[in-house]
Amino acid sequence: MTAAAQPLAIPEVRAHFSPISVAQYRQYPELNENGRRTELVRGIIIEKTSKSPLHASIAKLIYDGFHAAVPNGFSVRQDQPLTLQDSEPEPDIAIVRGSLSDYRVAHPTSAALVVEIAIHSLSLDQQKAGLYAEAGVEEYWIIIPSEKRVEVCTRPQNSEYLDHVSVEAGNVVCRSVPGIRVNLRELF
Amino acid sequence: MTATAQMLEIPELRSRISPITVAQYHQFPEFNENGRHTELVRGLVIEKMSKSPLHSSIARRLLKTLQMSLPPGFILLREDPLTFSDSEPEPDLAIVRGSEEDYSESHPKSAALVVEIAITSAAEDRSLAALYAEAGVDEYWIVLPSERRIEVYAHPQNGIYSDHSMSNIGSTLQCGSVPGVEVNLDELFH
Repeated sequence: MTAAAQPLAIPEVRAHFSPISVAQYRQYPELNENGRRTELVRGIIIEKTSKSPLHASIAKLIYDGFHAAVPNGFSVRQDQPLTLQDSEPEPDIAIVRGSLSDYRVAHPTSAALVVEIAIHSLSLDQQKAGLYAEAGVEEYWIIIPSEKRVEVCTRPQNSEYLDHVSVEAGNVVCRSVPGIRVNLRELF
Repeated sequence: MTATAQMLEIPELRSRISPITVAQYHQFPEFNENGRHTELVRGLVIEKMSKSPLHSSIARRLLKTLQMSLPPGFILLREDPLTFSDSEPEPDLAIVRGSEEDYSESHPKSAALVVEIAITSAAEDRSLAALYAEAGVDEYWIVLPSERRIEVYAHPQNGIYSDHSMSNIGSTLQCGSVPGVEVNLDELFH
């Protein structure tokens, strides 16, 4: 447990935590004091964890598959920021509308599909559904290798996805981006 | 519960929190997005809470008592920042060594005595003991008006206080680090 995690074990401290704005977050260097890359989640700066071989290989497999299949008018991003209202997450994979040149000045503020790979981070990735839904991300997939399944969240409304499906066999087919799918047998 | 507080419920997120440095914290505006005054605790920016009448009243009484018995060579602070290596708390009251000129360029880095008043829960204030011990604050008092007593932490050593004691109603608490400073608990909790 880090020194900062200790006071947060106390509920009162959590209730009084002061969130950082996206604008403040932007002023910080790319790496934090511990030499780590960070992301902003609900005004909380968290360190990105180093990726396990399993995490990295699944991410690469998905990225390569999406990259080969992505239709015109969309682009695939890996580990790149999305700028949301109170957050700047860097999802494992995102498919956004538009081309690279659309995002030279500002990061995308939404996405057609976001994919997170949950190795040790399932509860956090599940909680992130709220921020992706608020930003109007049309589909959110949580890949859970330990359980060999994918949680598919669709129909964002306010801070939640109305539909949740757990896919355990066959293909996960993206409804918001034509031609985008993942075969579970290849994935796991 | 706010969306931020809800996120903080997740232990995995807490273990990955990236602290703000004191230098970064100094660039923050005085009031945060919610219009609240803040302090820095272990690299976390924490909002200061509005004070209950009881809290304010006890703080005023203590201020008066400490002010009256304050010896030369010390100054009394009320809700002023102390700058530590990873924190910048603003304790309810503190007595620091030196004179006003010593602190016109930077906040004190330690104190002879720190006093926090705990109205609803002492858990948060107890968690600050390590912070004050690390900074070499000689004595730390947590005033508990609901229990009419004061928790006393003394002898900071390697980041912890080795001596813990309790002062109850009917007694007078003498500060071990500032000569002549004492508090009569009957008068305080009258």
